[in-house]
Amino acid sequence: MAIVKMSNFSLFTFDSDRDELLQELQKFSYVHFTNLKKDESLLEQGLSVLEIPKEIEEVDEDIKDVKYVIDLLKKYDDRETGLKGMIKGKNSFTFEELESKVNNFDYHPMIKKFRVLSERLDKLNQEEMKQKAISDELKPWKNLNYDVRSLKNFSFSSIFTGTVPKKLVEKLKKDMVELQKTYLEVISEGKDEAYILGITSRDEKDVFSEILRNNSYTNLSIPTETTVDEEYSIVKDKLSMLKEERKIAFDEIKGMKDYLSAFEETYDYLLNKKLRYAAEENFMRTENVNVISGFVPTDHVADFKKAVEKTQENVFYLEVTEADKDDESVPIMLNNGKFSESFESFTLMYSLPKYNGIDPTPLFAPFFFAFAGMMIGDLGYGIIMLIGTALALKYFNLDKGTRLFVRFLFYVSFSTMIWGGIFGSFFGGVIPMKALINPATEYQKLLILSIIFGGIHLFYALGIKAYINFRDGKPWSALFDTGFWYMALMGGIVLLLTMTMPLPAIAKTIATVVMAAGMVGIILTGGRDNSSVAGKLAGGLYSLYGISSYVGDFVSYSRLMALGLSGGFISVAINMMVSMLFAKGIIGIIFGVVVFIGGQAFNLFLSVLSAYVHTSRLTYVEFFGKFYEGGGKGFKLFRNKSKYINLE
Amino acid sequence: MNFGQMLIANGGVLIATLGIVSAVILSGIGSAKGVGMVGEAATGIIIEEPEKFGRSLVLQLLPGTQGLYGFVIGLMAMGSLRVDMTLVEGFYIFLACMPIVFVEYFSAIYQARVSVAGLTILAKNEEHATKGIIYAVMVETYALLSFVMSLILLSAVSF
Repeated sequence: MAIVKMSNFSLFTFDSDRDELLQELQKFSYVHFTNLKKDESLLEQGLSVLEIPKEIEEVDEDIKDVKYVIDLLKKYDDRETGLKGMIKGKNSFTFEELESKVNNFDYHPMIKKFRVLSERLDKLNQEEMKQKAISDELKPWKNLNYDVRSLKNFSFSSIFTGTVPKKLVEKLKKDMVELQKTYLEVISEGKDEAYILGITSRDEKDVFSEILRNNSYTNLSIPTETTVDEEYSIVKDKLSMLKEERKIAFDEIKGMKDYLSAFEETYDYLLNKKLRYAAEENFMRTENVNVISGFVPTDHVADFKKAVEKTQENVFYLEVTEADKDDESVPIMLNNGKFSESFESFTLMYSLPKYNGIDPTPLFAPFFFAFAGMMIGDLGYGIIMLIGTALALKYFNLDKGTRLFVRFLFYVSFSTMIWGGIFGSFFGGVIPMKALINPATEYQKLLILSIIFGGIHLFYALGIKAYINFRDGKPWSALFDTGFWYMALMGGIVLLLTMTMPLPAIAKTIATVVMAAGMVGIILTGGRDNSSVAGKLAGGLYSLYGISSYVGDFVSYSRLMALGLSGGFISVAINMMVSMLFAKGIIGIIFGVVVFIGGQAFNLFLSVLSAYVHTSRLTYVEFFGKFYEGGGKGFKLFRNKSKYINLE
Repeated sequence: MNFGQMLIANGGVLIATLGIVSAVILSGIGSAKGVGMVGEAATGIIIEEPEKFGRSLVLQLLPGTQGLYGFVIGLMAMGSLRVDMTLVEGFYIFLACMPIVFVEYFSAIYQARVSVAGLTILAKNEEHATKGIIYAVMVETYALLSFVMSLILLSAVSF
């Protein structure tokens, strides 16, 4: 349906024209290369693999550098963020604009400058850490008002500086009571240790150091040549100088913050350049000729030919043929109208169709639309969604994926409003409305409605299967796999109805006959792919057993009612709390407003989330399960998905 | 009046209330446990990649709905509560709450496990994180079914 028609191309071109060709093709972008390396026959014919590791390495290096600069500059990014930033969005460029912009931007010297700056910063940081460590070491000795150098020059005495555990200080003092020519002073105390200075004479030195060792003494040298105070102020000066220097370096970086967007553009351009080189690894070559092959959307073939011709100075050979319908290697590109396009992400998430399959997006989109709205089912919520998404679409410069998602919510808001009207629910009954179906009291009606919707959904899915069979020229399969199931299911449903509803007796007979005929048909044909007769019969019986899963499918649609109902009830419960608060006077009213806005916003978010995931489930399991086989692989544009800009 | 007589005379409303509070309590515990489990796991991802907060929040919220279903059933059952209920009526409401009591509690925890596993998809291959969400939603089907059943039972009779 909406799978884009593809054409296969083979191109022989001279090696010397390759760079320009690829550049032109990247501007054109609708090319998907086939990896020829996988084709072993080409290797046997004497072609060799095209490899350009050097260029890729160079680009990788550049990308790393540019990314490094972006990370450095990002801290000073003062471009608008939040709402204003969203309104402005990313800048848009055509490929030519980007290319010329980046070519005019000489970024290599700037990168070098940044490298130098950040190296300087690293050095400054290291120095700062060193100075801080010194200052930490000095701190305990601040009370010592002597020139430290003089302590080292005694000829008859020895000086000990170091720590002992605080709790051992008393013991230490007791231990040295007998020493006559030894002096000990506690200079300062840390968390667990005491900093001590000991002076002893030569003849008591050994005894003293023995006592110290017994008291867990650790020797520390004081890192200075002058007094501690003096050294301390020197370190302090150094630290403030370092700080100053660092600020200068930062200011220098900050001064270049306006180049951030230029670097971001360069980054996106370089990624594309890398893609261009990487693409070459798909090609094969002889000595002078490159062999290139791939796919182009049939609509774009003329432009593609033009792009190729433009770049070829020498002779070349180009062959373009329509892609074979059953070729599994054809890449898939979907093309849908505005409404269906908003639902394409669900197909992508499941699996793309094969080239000979069908695009299910326009088939499930209307149901998705209806079901999601039914699960939210509140007029007020619908209006909020409509206003929010419409404003976002109009005023925000969104990138493509986000835009599609917002547009999806925009469409669902209409369905939500319609169902909200049917349920008579406006923010859970803030404004009383007349309901066509009141979910709280007529839940049974709603349940039946849900199951009926489920029935339509399932029969529709079976119908699509029949259509595919007809299209592929297999009308018998359509009868076997769809017709018989229609008979069995419809007969069964009518039979069930005759039990609860007063239908004429003849209806029961007809239903029984139709159902039985359908079931017999399923048993006879369900296992037709098996070879032996017994296998066919067993397969048929197994197929019929599949009818039990239909019961599950039908029941599964009760979530349509359940989610609408639970969301509605929570909304009512919030309103109940709010009205209780409102009865409590002015403070109650203030709190009530907060509870109302917070509660309803939370419930809206939860309802939308539930609707999104549960409708996905109905689509994937119940609907796709009946007819859809994915397994196609996506068409990769010859463009990198840009990160910082919009590339057209 | 002995205990048996008292139970027959006043038991209806007590038993019914027991059902209601069980529905709210157990589904609440289940959801709290589930949301907590996923939250803990999500925290690990956010440390390194804070931009994944939005999607991890979705996964965390999934096991939270069970508590809401229990709350809604509790609210509905409360509507049919009367002081002079007979014992039979009380038991009926109690039993009507049972599907939600059990299924919500366990489904919340199992769903949380799938969500935690889904977080690894989010961590390693963000593009496909929605698939993890869909897996988790499969568990919720049964929470919904028990919700529907309790709902039908409660609305099927009016005392």
